[in-house]
Amino acid sequence: MKGLMKGLKYTLKNLSKERVTYAYPDEPLEMPDRFRGIQKFYPEKCIVCNQCANVCPTDCIDLTGKKHPDPNKKGKIIDTYDINFEICILCDLCTEVCPTEAIVMTNNFELAEYSRDELFKNLEWLDENDTNVRKENKA
Amino acid sequence: MIRTEEMLLNVGPQHPSTHGVFRIVLKIDGEIITDATPVIGYLHRGTEKLAEDLQYTQIIPYTDRMDYLSAMTNNYVICHAVETMMDMEIPDRAEYLRVLVMELGRVASHLVWFGTYLLDIGALSPFLYAFREREMIINLLNEISGARLTFNYMRVGGVKWDAPDGWIEKVREFVPHMRKELAGYHDLVSGNEIFLNRVHDVGTYSKEDALAYSLSGANLRCTGVDWDLRKQEPYSIYDRFNFNVPVTEKGDAWSRYQCRMAEIEESLKIVEQAVEQFPSEGAIMAKVPRIIKPPAGETYVRIESPRGEIGCYIASKGKKEPYRLKFRRPSFYNLQILSKLLKGENIANLITILGGIDIVLGEVDG
Repeated sequence: MKGLMKGLKYTLKNLSKERVTYAYPDEPLEMPDRFRGIQKFYPEKCIVCNQCANVCPTDCIDLTGKKHPDPNKKGKIIDTYDINFEICILCDLCTEVCPTEAIVMTNNFELAEYSRDELFKNLEWLDENDTNVRKENKA
Repeated sequence: MIRTEEMLLNVGPQHPSTHGVFRIVLKIDGEIITDATPVIGYLHRGTEKLAEDLQYTQIIPYTDRMDYLSAMTNNYVICHAVETMMDMEIPDRAEYLRVLVMELGRVASHLVWFGTYLLDIGALSPFLYAFREREMIINLLNEISGARLTFNYMRVGGVKWDAPDGWIEKVREFVPHMRKELAGYHDLVSGNEIFLNRVHDVGTYSKEDALAYSLSGANLRCTGVDWDLRKQEPYSIYDRFNFNVPVTEKGDAWSRYQCRMAEIEESLKIVEQAVEQFPSEGAIMAKVPRIIKPPAGETYVRIESPRGEIGCYIASKGKKEPYRLKFRRPSFYNLQILSKLLKGENIANLITILGGIDIVLGEVDG
């Protein structure tokens, strides 16, 4: 009986303690700056070097480039850029290798959708995802 | 006339106390288990095979998903294996960061075990308290690595991020808080007569059995074998810290409980010392070539994860992908003794014994 009473005392002591749960989803849940959420993509910064697609462990990035519309300029610009969030594991390797920081992480993490097709995010969607962009990108 | 016959009972694969998808087929005679066959593989993703097509940096996020309760030790074992092959010198600051996150991870992992074990055998409140403290650790690790469980924090040659401003102070403040709460857990559970009756002399095995079944971690130390790789074969910078290896003698569920609870205390000691010795400046990455290509050959390293000895074997042909990668996943090995322990036990003890082994299905199935 003594052990039980001791345990009860601990429970009673905790009754008056402050609440530790969050009011999510009624209130948004703040994540630390480094948090790895859905990527934001800057099409104007991309140089179509393909490094993000190559380093991706799950092969969820598909991108194509096209010739620069200005014939005097060399290199390519981005044409399409898709991330398949069915298999993206938000591992951060794509942003780590990007030489121009064209792809960066944001703190947005709400990815639930009603259909699988909606998990394919294209260039426009990723460009518009520009809230809570991570400030600190290169370690 | 009462006719009795043997009954086949299927537990799982979605049984809440299996913490994942684990199935066990029981043959029962009344309430006594006569035979138990574990069925595993529901969570098999073929990590080792996948790794053969991946570069070493790309394998690290996959290791997060093996033992998802202490992903930092998994991150470390693969990095440590590649570093050993390439004979790399790791900067001090990176090593301290690694030890800090690994030991915090160990505390978090044991807290999950403590909470869910008690939950399985019928006590709800310890689970809530344990997860309250675990959430603090998860927040600390989230702050430094950017994810709550799948950290992907370590890299070959160091770590990805330096500690953010004020992080070390937060860890320093966490240690006394955790100590206080740990004493509270002992008040809450360790003296509780109902709990003691459930775990004393349940699932007992001998030292010889433990060694024969290749058990490791607390499952081995509960039989009186003093074997902790942090002490016996110090890797990283564990030789700089002063800590004990908790060993208990009886080999039953109660001694495993004692062992793990004492390990939380020892991990806190390491965290405390690492914070004290933490170098104020320095690099967090060694000089690493852009494409990591370990020389041809093979290597095996092993470290102490919260569940036991986790090992990583790499056979390399000098390419940027491994030729063969093999993880010695402690949960898988520890689980093997289950059928032996269950034979002849009362079915009410099934959950006590299974929970006491502390398995993570992501690791069992690989």
